[in-house]
Amino acid sequence: MGDHLARAEDFESRAEKKLGGWGLFGSKFEDAADLFDKAANAFKLSKSWDRAGAVYVKLANCHLKLDSKHEAANAYADAAHCYKKCNTQESISCLEESVNMFLDIGRFNMSARYYKEIAELYEQDQNLEQAIVYFEKAVDLFQSEEVSTSANQCKQKVAQYAAQLEQYQKAIEIYEEIAQQSLNNNLLKYGVKGHLLNAGICQLCKADFVAINKALERYEDLDPTFSGTREYKLLADLAAALDEEDLTKFTDAVKEYDSMTPLDGWKTTLLLRVKEALKAKELEEDDLT
Amino acid sequence: MSAVFEGYEKQYCELSANLSKKCASANHLDGEHKKQKISEIKAGLDEAEALIRKMDLEARALLPNIKAVLLAKLREYKSDLNNLKSEVKRIASTNLNQAARDELLEAGLADTRAVSANQRDRLLMSTERLDNSSNRIKDSRKVMLDTEVLGVSLLQDLHQQRQSLLHADNTLSGVDNNLGRSKKILTNMTRRMNRNKWMIGGLITVLVIAIALILYFKLAK
Repeated sequence: MGDHLARAEDFESRAEKKLGGWGLFGSKFEDAADLFDKAANAFKLSKSWDRAGAVYVKLANCHLKLDSKHEAANAYADAAHCYKKCNTQESISCLEESVNMFLDIGRFNMSARYYKEIAELYEQDQNLEQAIVYFEKAVDLFQSEEVSTSANQCKQKVAQYAAQLEQYQKAIEIYEEIAQQSLNNNLLKYGVKGHLLNAGICQLCKADFVAINKALERYEDLDPTFSGTREYKLLADLAAALDEEDLTKFTDAVKEYDSMTPLDGWKTTLLLRVKEALKAKELEEDDLT
Repeated sequence: MSAVFEGYEKQYCELSANLSKKCASANHLDGEHKKQKISEIKAGLDEAEALIRKMDLEARALLPNIKAVLLAKLREYKSDLNNLKSEVKRIASTNLNQAARDELLEAGLADTRAVSANQRDRLLMSTERLDNSSNRIKDSRKVMLDTEVLGVSLLQDLHQQRQSLLHADNTLSGVDNNLGRSKKILTNMTRRMNRNKWMIGGLITVLVIAIALILYFKLAK
């Protein structure tokens, strides 16, 4: 490990010298870039991620002077990967630089993928609004490249976080759209009921009874097999419980579904919100009476 | 009526005590004496069985409440008789392995007989078995649902891979086209290069010949 560190520092100092002095035939940038690359590799081997990231940034600058934007963008992406291990903010700024360069060149696929990475980093840091913004940008780029699966995956994440931030209408629209698209595809049609269940839960959070029932009918039209599934039964029971403002019925329906397949964290959070709203309404009514 | 039954009962008890004594003594004998004793015991067993059958008939003819008690007693006597029968069989078998095997199986029989003799226990056992099977069905349903979720996610992954493969296919055919074009351009370049080479070669030769001719004419004068 110490050996790699020493070699890396050696490479870096030689590259700096090359940049500082006058090289023959103006090839100094290429040589310097080569040396920077070796230095960064050695830093990665010795696990000093931040120094590796710094060297990659310098490498990117060299490439920019050589007017090869593609190489520069790749170097920024490598820098971001190194920074991911220690400092998220630096990593995000490097990824943004890289994305801008890819957009200039016109490689939308790569830029969409890096937007997705940025969004995931924000997700890890629990910064949901920024995450949503970047996921949406990624969705736009993926759709322009006709890569519908990645677009759908990002859209799902957008809907998930939107629902957590209480933007229910947006989430509902996204889930219904995804369900519609998945129906036509033989491989994806078995996932449709999962999407419709998510959309239904968001409808319940909005607590608009007429809309919920209309939505349930719409889902039945979309997918004739949906009405036989346990998901539909759960949604119908929950809607009825909300109508009658019956807390025990609500809890029973949820428990019954949970005993067969455990509910994941997102669904549990949203259903808890609905339950709290129901309880508050019950208490309100008791006060009035 | 029950007096007749009691009479039979006493007879049976005497007979059974007799038989068990004979069994015990037959154990210690061997050879001819043993065979004799065994045939005696077998005759006694047949008598006992007949007595039990008669007691059975008597008991069924009586009133239901007494019948239940008597039938329970009968069952005990029947099990007693079966014990004696298996004792005899064990003694009769001269093969040690066979005797040991019989004892092993007999021990198992005795247990189940003790449990199922009681009707309430039987009912409890069957309810328990039904509960077990319904639990197992519920568990298998849960497993099936989990597998279904897994299957859905697998299908989604497959869909994504299909799309990447199609995209790669498109890109590669684009690459193929570009390679074809670059090959054409390179052949053009080589052709032009060869043409230029020949032209320059030709010019040089012409010039050299011209210089040679001029020198020749100058020197020839």
